[in-house]
Amino acid sequence: MELWDCNCCYGLPKKPPVAPAETIADLLREIDRAGIARALVRGASQWEQSPEVANLLVSEDCASDERLIPSWAILPPQTGELGTVEEFLAAMRKAGVRALWAYPEKHRYVLNATTMGGLLEEASDRGIPLFIDRREVPGSGLYALADSVLRDFPRLRLCICAHGSWGEDRYFRPLMERYPNFRVGTSRYELDGGIEDICRSYGPERLLLGTNFPETPMGGPILTLLHAAISDADRELIAGGNLRRILEEVRL
Amino acid sequence: MINEGRITREFVEHGRVEDCPVIDTHAHYGPFQAIYFPRHRPERVIDTMDRCGVRWMLISGHQALVDTERGNAEIARLVADYPDRFRGWWVISPNYPDRIPAELEAFEATPGFLGFKLHPSQQGVSLTADAYTPAYEYANARGLPILSHTWSGAGLCSYREVAAVADKYPQIRFLMGHAGYGDWLDSAKVARDHEHVYLELTAAYSVRGALEIMCEHAGSRKITFGTDHPWFDPHYGIGCILSAYMTDEDRRNILYRNAQTLFGLPLEVAG
Repeated sequence: MELWDCNCCYGLPKKPPVAPAETIADLLREIDRAGIARALVRGASQWEQSPEVANLLVSEDCASDERLIPSWAILPPQTGELGTVEEFLAAMRKAGVRALWAYPEKHRYVLNATTMGGLLEEASDRGIPLFIDRREVPGSGLYALADSVLRDFPRLRLCICAHGSWGEDRYFRPLMERYPNFRVGTSRYELDGGIEDICRSYGPERLLLGTNFPETPMGGPILTLLHAAISDADRELIAGGNLRRILEEVRL
Repeated sequence: MINEGRITREFVEHGRVEDCPVIDTHAHYGPFQAIYFPRHRPERVIDTMDRCGVRWMLISGHQALVDTERGNAEIARLVADYPDRFRGWWVISPNYPDRIPAELEAFEATPGFLGFKLHPSQQGVSLTADAYTPAYEYANARGLPILSHTWSGAGLCSYREVAAVADKYPQIRFLMGHAGYGDWLDSAKVARDHEHVYLELTAAYSVRGALEIMCEHAGSRKITFGTDHPWFDPHYGIGCILSAYMTDEDRRNILYRNAQTLFGLPLEVAG
């Protein structure tokens, strides 16, 4: 079974975690140690600095190892920092980027159809997944945001990552029920029986293995998934099959 | 992690290790207001324990955090029903100080409880408040353990308040639940400087690097494992410990040896 990590990071944010992973080599060392086959990577510079510069840096750093899959951050096309929607997609195609992250609070924009309509329409058509870190918006706000985005773009493959240790099933299960393309990363899905429950109620396609490295040790979400009371077929999908398929289906 | 040491390999392969049992020193029981639990009923809890190699769970009732009389009685029944898997923490509420003497009498008369559980954060009363004094004096006179929620922040239950209580009551074996979450180094120093203060790992294990700070400054003999179950799958916490940079001896200390020594729980360790 291959482990694909949908949410790991490197680089030094302004407020570093207890044990930061400063360089791509630091990240690779832990990927080796945990037995991760492929990792969707983002860099702290993408939210701490401008994606205008940081997106390309992440692509360059990930080019050092074929296990690393770069992901880019988005900005409103109206300001032109990342070009028009067409130019941005062309840049993604050239760099082989197949996944995007949105940081609406850190980058100060409204993630909705007015601001991002053109890009999210293209992402929906092309199967490009959009990831959002749960910590972007506190409380129920992030799930209200996800609901709003998916109401306008129901075909968008949207994944919320790194929700906290307080269980958030009451927030995200209604979204799973309503939107077939809504997913959750497992990095902090620590709830005993949670993975089994989701598989039974909504199917294993709704979960993607994530580690939230370097803030969280990789072993927690991995051991939880390895021994969840689900079928091996379901386990393989969550461990890597889902993310691999999503990325393979992207049409740039 | 996967190829580092036998304990890690066996947890990865089998989900449990026969000669490395687990004692969960910080668990709960029953539903709770702000979170959905699929596995909070006794038979499912025991299924989880068996799957993860958890030999003992030391539990307090979610209900007891609100209504001590009903909640502690609920845990007494659970411990009586499963005397070889559970021991109880008796919740003391500082918000109803008039009831504490009766609670202490009930504690004394009820088998299966190890000591007291305090939650200054949820109950909004500092660990150093006078309301706790009868419980502290009772525990200190008998050398009982106390498990308290501890967390970074001013005035309620940080390492500062723990140090003040520990200085005053040297016979209480004081478990810092969540290891003083956030104040990793200062909390480790309190455990290092007080022979009777220990760091309990619930949720703290999910902060990469925190465990290494605790081991370096307090030592693995001062750390116990816990999960807040049914909040968290024990495999999550175990996996974090397997990821941490430490020896298998450290892991054994944390997963069962320290709790076995502290609480005198019967434990057969294979091999």
